[in-house]
Amino acid sequence: MTQAALAAVETPAITAPLSADDIARLLPHRYPFLMLDRVTALEPGVSAEGIKNVSVSDAVLAGHFPGRMIYPGVLLIECVAQLAAVIYGSAALVSVKDTSADVSGRVGYLAEVRQAKFMRPVYPGDQLIVRATSGARMGALISVTGQASVGREVVMTARLVVTERDQEE
Amino acid sequence: MALTLEETTERARNRQELCADVKALLVERLDLDVNPTLIGDDQPLFGRGLELDSIDTLELAMAIEEKYEVTITDDETDSLLSLNRLVDHVEANRS
Repeated sequence: MTQAALAAVETPAITAPLSADDIARLLPHRYPFLMLDRVTALEPGVSAEGIKNVSVSDAVLAGHFPGRMIYPGVLLIECVAQLAAVIYGSAALVSVKDTSADVSGRVGYLAEVRQAKFMRPVYPGDQLIVRATSGARMGALISVTGQASVGREVVMTARLVVTERDQEE
Repeated sequence: MALTLEETTERARNRQELCADVKALLVERLDLDVNPTLIGDDQPLFGRGLELDSIDTLELAMAIEEKYEVTITDDETDSLLSLNRLVDHVEANRS
C-alpha cells in the first residue's frame, strides 16, 4: 500500500465532488442563500472549485432587474466567500478526523473585499465556475483570492478577507 | 564591541532607508491617503496613529512577507504597534 493510501485509511478523507447536500452539511447557509450547487475540486485548507448554475428561477433575478435579468455581482463575491468556508470547514473536518462532525458553526464573517473586478454581466443560463484559494492567516482572519468564470471567460476576480470562528467561542 | 563612526553612520542610513521603504509599502498596500514621508518613525499604526484597523494587520503582514520574506505570526502582532517596532522586526528576521 502506498503512503498516500495508508494515510487515507487512517484519516477519513473529504474529497470532491461534494453534492449540494454535502455542501449544506458544511455550511450554515440555506435557501435562498446557499449558492454553490457542487464542489468539483477540493484541497481542504488550501483551495476549491465549485459550480453555481444561474437559473431564471433564482428569486433574486425577479428584482435584478425586471425585463433585464442580470445575476448580481455581489453574489459572485458571496459564492467565493462560501467556497472559502468549504475550504476551512473541510480542513476542520480533517483535523478532527471525523467527516460527520458539525463544522457549520465555524463560518464567520466577510471582513474585507479588495480589488473586485466584474468583467462582464452574468445571465440566466450561465454556468459559473467559482475558484477560491486560501492564503495568509492571522488570528481568525483568512485572506482569500477568488474568481468566477463562464466557460473559459473570467467574469469576476476579487481578493477577500473572511473570518473563521473558533467553535468554543 | 564598539562601532566605528563610519559603521554607526552606515547602520543609521540603512535603518532610515528601511523605514522609508516600509512607510511607502504601508501607504501603497493599504491605500492610505497620507504622504509616506510625513509618517513618524514612532507613530502608532493603529488607533489615533495611522488609524489602521485589525483587518489591515493581515494585509500588512502579507505585504511584509512578500517584500522582505519576514513572517509575522499571531504571537508577534506587537511588532505591528508602531513603525519602529515593525522595522525592528524586519531587521531582526531578515536573512
